[in-house]
Amino acid sequence: MSVNIDEGNIKQGLLGLVVALVEIIQEVLERQAVRRMEGGRLSDQEIEKLGLALAELKDALENIKKDNDLDATVESVRGDLDKVTNDMICNLIGSPGLEQGLKRHE
Amino acid sequence: MNESFGDVAIQEGRYLYAVINSGAEFDFGDIGINDNKIFTISYEDIAAVVHSCQAEAYKTNDNDKAKEWILAHNYVIDYASKQFGTVLPFAFDCIIRGNDETIKNWLIRNYEKLTKELKKVENKAEYSIQFFCDQKKLQAMVTNSDPELKEFKEKMDKASKGAAYLIKRQFELKLKDAVAVEISMLANDLCSKIKEHVEILKVEKNTSQVPDKYMEMKPIAAFSCLVHDDKIENLGEALDVINKLDGFAVRFTGPWAPFSFVEVKDD
Repeated sequence: MSVNIDEGNIKQGLLGLVVALVEIIQEVLERQAVRRMEGGRLSDQEIEKLGLALAELKDALENIKKDNDLDATVESVRGDLDKVTNDMICNLIGSPGLEQGLKRHE
Repeated sequence: MNESFGDVAIQEGRYLYAVINSGAEFDFGDIGINDNKIFTISYEDIAAVVHSCQAEAYKTNDNDKAKEWILAHNYVIDYASKQFGTVLPFAFDCIIRGNDETIKNWLIRNYEKLTKELKKVENKAEYSIQFFCDQKKLQAMVTNSDPELKEFKEKMDKASKGAAYLIKRQFELKLKDAVAVEISMLANDLCSKIKEHVEILKVEKNTSQVPDKYMEMKPIAAFSCLVHDDKIENLGEALDVINKLDGFAVRFTGPWAPFSFVEVKDD
């Protein structure tokens, strides 16, 4: 299992990796916030506060990516992580739904 | 794969390319890996296509060399297919330790299994089919067909800045799930459309190897198919219909030797 970061520029590669990880954490936080909002566990005030904080975090990450020319690096790291995760899930749970669909056709 | 067969404890080996549906002795010429001479070793009405080598795996750190070897490997298999019809292809670097007699004994031992596999692939070839769709068109189609998703835009316009951000994320997450469900349904639908034209259909999980032309599109499904020569035209027509649908693309490649559909294990 390996994740390729840009070897030609360690600093940019490392920053790209950090930003990619923060982006993933942010997405997890957003999912949690949406779930709580849907579950009626947040007041209007809390929704507004949380939404603004997450929007600010997203803007900050976008600015860091733009200032350091990190878009391609972050995308590459996330692509590698997605592949590792997909392979792991496929190995753990076996075939996805399509193959079961195929069997139903037979 | 580097296998040992029988009790021949020598370093001589035979590099195995394919098994063919003919017992005829045939000299392919020096078309093998590293220009090795390719010949057949036969038993009854089948034969192994080989070259003589040391019983050692081909290894190199030079990518160009590795590509050259793999191209030569595939060229021999294609050439054998042209001469003898569909063959049982072997993966790169399948070397049997021993001599011609060892190969012959292997053919004798596995004769029934090999002839059965040859019968299975007779007059058939492997094809690869990949389906893609335009992500934006698919998202628009899913959004328009789901009243709940359509309502989100209205909610976002009315909400204050912070709430609007969370509602937008809620919409994006729901859209992502809805698109995934739609892709699964489309894949099953496409599968049922091509199934009647193929002998065997296998789902391929890895769709990362695609030409630039399709890079902007979302892969929906990929299949390896074993197709009878008589049905290839019908399959092509069925795929052409899908390819012409707005927002869809089909990548159809082949014919290949039936690598995905042949399994020969030594007894």
